[in-house]
Amino acid sequence: MAGKIFISIDRLTSTLEKLSAKIDLWIPASLQPDKRELTGFVPYHAGIVPILDRQSTLPPKKILLPQVETLLRFEYRKDPRNPLKGSVSLDDKTEVRPALVFGARPCDAKAFLTLDRVFTNGPYVDPYYLERRRNTLFATLVCRQADEACFCSSVGSGPADTEGSDFRVIPVDGGYVVDALTEKAQSLFNSLGDTPTQHQEAQARQVVEKTSQHRVGDLDLAGSTGAFRKRFEEDDYWQEMAAQCLSCGICTHVCPTCYCFTITDEIKNLHGERLRSWDSCMFYQYSLEASGHNPRPSKLNRYRNRVGHKFSYIPEKYDGLIGCCGCGRCIRSCPVSIDIRQIVGRLKENACESE
Amino acid sequence: METDTMQLHKLVDEALPELDTMIGWAASYDPLRTTPIFIREAKSIPRLIWSPFCAQNLTGYLVKPPALKPADKHKRIGICVKGCDSRSLVALIQEKFVTRDRLRIFGIPCRGTVDWRQVMRQVPLSHVRSAKVEDNLLIVDDAGGTHKLNLEDVLARKCLRCRYPNPVVYDALIGEPTVSRITPEDIYRDVEALEKRPLEERLAFWQSELDRCMRCYACRNACPLCVCQERCIAETRDPKWLTQRMGIPEKFLFHFIHAIHLAGRCTECGECERVCPMEIPVALMKEKLNKIMEEMLGYVAGLDPTAIPPLLTFNPSETGI
Amino acid sequence: MRVNKFLNNPYLPELATVQKIIQETANIRTLMITLDDKKKMREFIFRPGQVGQLSVFGAGESTFVINSPPTRKDYLQFSVMRVGEVTQRIHQLNAGDQIGLRAPLGNGFQYEDMKGHDILFVGGGIGMAPLRTLLLYMIDNRRDYGDIMVLYGARSPNDLCYTYEFQEWKAGGVNLVLTVDSEFPGWKERVGFVPTVLSEESPSPHNRIAVVCGPPIMIKFVLFGLKELGFEDHQIFTTLEKRMKCGIGICGRCNTGSKYVCLDGPVFSYEQIRGMAQEL
Repeated sequence: MAGKIFISIDRLTSTLEKLSAKIDLWIPASLQPDKRELTGFVPYHAGIVPILDRQSTLPPKKILLPQVETLLRFEYRKDPRNPLKGSVSLDDKTEVRPALVFGARPCDAKAFLTLDRVFTNGPYVDPYYLERRRNTLFATLVCRQADEACFCSSVGSGPADTEGSDFRVIPVDGGYVVDALTEKAQSLFNSLGDTPTQHQEAQARQVVEKTSQHRVGDLDLAGSTGAFRKRFEEDDYWQEMAAQCLSCGICTHVCPTCYCFTITDEIKNLHGERLRSWDSCMFYQYSLEASGHNPRPSKLNRYRNRVGHKFSYIPEKYDGLIGCCGCGRCIRSCPVSIDIRQIVGRLKENACESE
Repeated sequence: METDTMQLHKLVDEALPELDTMIGWAASYDPLRTTPIFIREAKSIPRLIWSPFCAQNLTGYLVKPPALKPADKHKRIGICVKGCDSRSLVALIQEKFVTRDRLRIFGIPCRGTVDWRQVMRQVPLSHVRSAKVEDNLLIVDDAGGTHKLNLEDVLARKCLRCRYPNPVVYDALIGEPTVSRITPEDIYRDVEALEKRPLEERLAFWQSELDRCMRCYACRNACPLCVCQERCIAETRDPKWLTQRMGIPEKFLFHFIHAIHLAGRCTECGECERVCPMEIPVALMKEKLNKIMEEMLGYVAGLDPTAIPPLLTFNPSETGI
Repeated sequence: MRVNKFLNNPYLPELATVQKIIQETANIRTLMITLDDKKKMREFIFRPGQVGQLSVFGAGESTFVINSPPTRKDYLQFSVMRVGEVTQRIHQLNAGDQIGLRAPLGNGFQYEDMKGHDILFVGGGIGMAPLRTLLLYMIDNRRDYGDIMVLYGARSPNDLCYTYEFQEWKAGGVNLVLTVDSEFPGWKERVGFVPTVLSEESPSPHNRIAVVCGPPIMIKFVLFGLKELGFEDHQIFTTLEKRMKCGIGICGRCNTGSKYVCLDGPVFSYEQIRGMAQEL
């Protein structure tokens, strides 16, 4: 492939600097100076230190699906000749800037495939998400820093997966070999680095091969739809699995494939906005109806729904695609260390036993 | 620690027939953390552990929906509590969320619990194989080898200022009583350090911290005393208090209302700060309010089950005002 | 930088104007609206049973069935019960006010498959709203359908909607049975809970489709009653209600198991409901 360059470690900063002049650049970095372990994707600015040696605490989800965004603005106008009559004007103009996300991991990039199906492949297309998606490129690391909470291989991905990525960033001695994978990626990296030497290319090939063979996560969590349906009504199972849950919502906030949102209007005097903001199925109010009835009144119902959504309903609707990328963030950030791998793994295991 | 765990097993085993459920801590996927366990059968008792990794305050499960209540009115709920957790129990008893005689309390004197995020800050660990505390060291084995860290560098902030390491209420005590790590004059030193800074700096501090807030409401949900959570002002639309925007004003309002609802009630168990995925020192706000309570009204929350928190009652002859 | 005015934005409502308001009961109002864009109003097509998201800008959106039939398109009609933030503001609208509409959404009734059958409508309170659209459609295409019986009940005579239309329904060839929960002075029709009157009326299930809508408790007992009369699951239809936001199958919240009420519903047969995750 034509677009291969080598960026040395000491030239990384200047390369990122040059890139940020061409396009909005997002990189994983620390979110607080004295808390190096707390990382997320932030807009590049001079002096920032990219943290590429571990998975970020927060995923790059907000780049394509902001936590809050304005869907439309509205303005009321009064007719001075007829004070009872109010008229409204609407405006849904949205600014979308081309962007590059540098330093994401395969799990992060793969997660957007689930969002793509939901937001752009249904009977209705979400133009806000679609426009951002079309204008954002992903330069994804070949990942060699899986930890004990990672399980990308269990959900149909892997540490060298390139699905959803435009560039592959391969760590080699002294720097990175960057491989352009898509047409729209090719043009961006021209003149930003040297052509890799033969040795570097060989090493890159080796790294990719070795990483592709590495299995992250022992379980196989695919094909859980039937097992989930079988255990749906088994209250004891969900009690045992989710009694520790605080219904706090952290898992949904740090999850790259969680996308549920709410729409609320805010008005001041005569003008206002309709906002779209992240919501969480873990919250009581999520499904609370105006009549006061709540189809998921208990945290156990809600946790069951979360597991079902990712491992049963999404695969059912989208040709077996699992609505989980195996990044393990929910496990790491959960205050009570609930392990979703266990919950889904035991669904299948015990379902077999009961037959 | 092992002897404490064994003692715990023995006592729980003896008590189990009269218990509907026993709430304690068990090992999780990560040696640096534990997960709560709800025991109903003797065969699960060996999973119970006590160690400095048992950070979570379990008392919330007694009140948050679906609150654990014995189905059989002759049975009780067993629960493990450290010093800080026992104060939460006292607060729940004071406000009549739980009744003392329905609880069987296993109190555990505690010298502090490990904050795994602080460990990660010192050494970026991967594939932790084992972790233990010996004297004043945390010894961790991971893929990179063995690491020895100063215990005081990895304890939760609340533990460094803990003045009630021994449970204030219990039916059985596991292990021996211990001494506090802090002198009474230094209890509010974190708050005082912040108070010394000029107003602009304090404002900048909170703006910077709250900027990271994701409005996940984990702090609210983890707090055993925050009981309006299903009707929380942060989410209700009728009446509407907050927009869904992620601006500092919205987050300030949520955090300060939450803190004010806890004024005079918060027992400083530190759960709010422990659970925060963005590592915001939210407990500082409650500590400040508690400092005012103590200085003005001479009241410390969660010590006397018969006391009434000052803001929940009207005392015509209030001293200190 | 790109500033987009999206060509086809499913979140952007069409502007519409309230033409007429009818106060049906103490807390139910019917709005008749027209789309401001006259061409779009003329070309607006929908199936009975489809819903719309009504916007009051500043308060939000709420989902209501379009309860006028596609055969009567001078206006689009919605009946709204006042229960919360948005419906409160809807009840404060006056004729001439501008609102937003995103419609038609959802699946609608399979009225084509119901041709040649006898029909039984069972409605309670505001549950008559989704039934009305199908009922009027059938009256307007009377020859396609057999015997039509409507059993409509409410707590009291004051809680019945569309009272001004009952004569028209009867004239359209409908067997109308009205009931209220208890005796009221001046009330000459039936007295008793809807499920009880259903058993008393005992309509035959043979070649009949039942469409049921009302408060959950009424639906529950009506279902028992229908099964006792011999109706099978595939003969019974209802509309499900859930908290909705986007209405287009994206925001995730209106799901019952893997089915979205806004996309796969709100009309479901009882057979389908039995196959769904039980979290209604």
